[in-house]
Amino acid sequence: MKLHEYQGKEILRQFGVNVQEGRIAKTPDEVRQIARDYGDAVVVKAQVHVGGRGKAGGVKFSPTPDKAYENGEKILGMDIKGLTVNKVLVTKAVDIDAGVEYYIGMIVDRNVQSFTLMASAEGGVDIEEVAAETPEKIVHYRVDPITGLRPYEARDVAIRAGFKGNLNKIADMMVKLSQAALARDAVLVEINPLFVDASGTPLALDTKFEIDDNAMYRHKDLADWREMEAEHPLEIEASKYGFAYVKLDDGNVGVLGNGAGIVMTSLDVVNRAGAKPANFLDIGGGAKAEIVYNAVKLVSKDTDVKAIFINIFGGITRADEVAKGVIQALQDGILTKPVRMRIAGTAEEEAKALLAEVNSPLIQMYPNMFDAAAEAAKEANAASAAASGKTVENK
Amino acid sequence: MGILVNKDSKVIVQGMTGREGASHSRAMKEFGTQVVAGVTPGKGGMDFEGWPIYNSVAEAKEATGANVSIIFVPPAGAADAVLEAAHAGIPLVILITEGVPTVDMMRAVQEVKMLDAQSRESGGEGVRLIGGNCPGLVTNGEAKVGIMPNKIYTKPGRIGLISRSGTLTYEAAKLLNDAGMGTSTTVGIGGDPVIGTTFADVLPMFEADEGTDAIVVIGEIGGADEEAAAEYIKHNMKKPVVAFISGRSAPAGKRMGHAGAIIMGNVGTPESKLAAFADANVPVADTMPEIIDLVKAALSK
Repeated sequence: MKLHEYQGKEILRQFGVNVQEGRIAKTPDEVRQIARDYGDAVVVKAQVHVGGRGKAGGVKFSPTPDKAYENGEKILGMDIKGLTVNKVLVTKAVDIDAGVEYYIGMIVDRNVQSFTLMASAEGGVDIEEVAAETPEKIVHYRVDPITGLRPYEARDVAIRAGFKGNLNKIADMMVKLSQAALARDAVLVEINPLFVDASGTPLALDTKFEIDDNAMYRHKDLADWREMEAEHPLEIEASKYGFAYVKLDDGNVGVLGNGAGIVMTSLDVVNRAGAKPANFLDIGGGAKAEIVYNAVKLVSKDTDVKAIFINIFGGITRADEVAKGVIQALQDGILTKPVRMRIAGTAEEEAKALLAEVNSPLIQMYPNMFDAAAEAAKEANAASAAASGKTVENK
Repeated sequence: MGILVNKDSKVIVQGMTGREGASHSRAMKEFGTQVVAGVTPGKGGMDFEGWPIYNSVAEAKEATGANVSIIFVPPAGAADAVLEAAHAGIPLVILITEGVPTVDMMRAVQEVKMLDAQSRESGGEGVRLIGGNCPGLVTNGEAKVGIMPNKIYTKPGRIGLISRSGTLTYEAAKLLNDAGMGTSTTVGIGGDPVIGTTFADVLPMFEADEGTDAIVVIGEIGGADEEAAAEYIKHNMKKPVVAFISGRSAPAGKRMGHAGAIIMGNVGTPESKLAAFADANVPVADTMPEIIDLVKAALSK
């Protein structure tokens, strides 16, 4: 789960990190009021789950309360990469020229089977750019997941990164960052920029924080922070069924299967067949007819989907259960798009018999995944072409 | 022959009395695996379909001489179950559970590695964790310590199989089976970001195994385990290796079902994996059935 800047800051504050003061506003009036309360220049920052909000005009320096109101009016309701800005964080402005900007972050790193701490004196810019252009300017350090980062290790990393300022205070912030990452099951946490003022004191000006979805059961206090409106409506519905579902852009073939690996490969096979997958949907192992029914229902709701490719390898999943689920969807009028499926393994013959009984052109079964995908791609591309043809006529 | 498990392996099941644990205990027994006992804390002394249940792994090991443990414990207790087995001196621990928090896995993997080093230093056989979020192991014709369907393993053969994905392991095993080649050992290493055993850990075992002639590696997007495997193959392996990578058309930044299947920045891309395998002279199949052609070609050289 990705957190907003203000939420990430709230967690870091709980662990004792010195965080730049700020308050949330949902209207321009609230923005102006906060600016008046601070009695100083402020920065108005869009709170949306996308990168590059600064470049998109979602972060604005505001020298006066009236200017803050104006900027609040501009940013609230703004569309950034398809997401509407519903709230802004108003923080006291900092004179960046009176100090330096650094970067610290921790990320789950499978190569070291732990967190890697990254530190760079090149703060205030996108760290991926630094990594691409001047990788030698980032210090990498494996954090012991049992002890967490110790102060002497933090001091060593800070020195190697070339950080100037109060060494003990900066190291202390790094230790607290590590404590927050481990205790709150972070996948990624960054402080960027980490501002060090003229007196050498560090201050977190911006953060990124993402929490491991597998660990959400032990962070129930953060469950309210999950914002349904920021997710695709079909992804929300899928989560109710317990499906692993990802909506994919510009697709026309709905894809579902039993297992992450087989679905990933199904996406590749659809691509090779000349169409584009509209989603990733893993229904899991041992799927019963009802689960398949729900999966077909979900995928059918996606207006991008023109045909559905079902790819099942039956170990514990029975082919006849899959067939029953699809047939039920057809009979209930939910299924209106062609389904092309491959079901290998257990109870294949029973499935064939059930489909023969229904004998609908909408549901066809194939002996291998390539034929099924090719047929689904053909149907989907024909439907897409017909649809775009109509659009042209209408113009 | 084969690696890691065989007909002499004595297996205990942590979480045997749960739904998954029970059904897979039966399937393993049916396969011919020596399943000797179950562990469910609080149910010690119970008889479960003929298997004795113990309160702890230490008790089960003491009573049965078990040397492998397979874990079906739910996510919140899974890492603890791994540590219990490792501290009880079980040399091979297989974690099937999906959805274990990554921080728990980091800690468990580090501790298991420490125990492994200690055991080896004092002349012991070490401790190995396989998984989590994996389908387990099969040595064809001998033993299954996992959740793969039994019927795809009818033909013992001489091809080793290593995979990050469960279902693609089944696909590949069935293809090899149907092509008349069959498999020696299948190792499902798991789809999570932090796992106990990687491709590069398993490859040397297959290289040394007299029952294996060639190895199939089934990778996917995310991380750099395939790159590490390619590096190992390039410098150390004489036996032919054939690879497959799934998720080649997946977009960056989206997690494809497996917690570890995500392209982050320039890490985990199919391009990087393909380049690494090309550099190691490992042919990569574009489709699953092509794996068979590439294995045949490699063996006829």
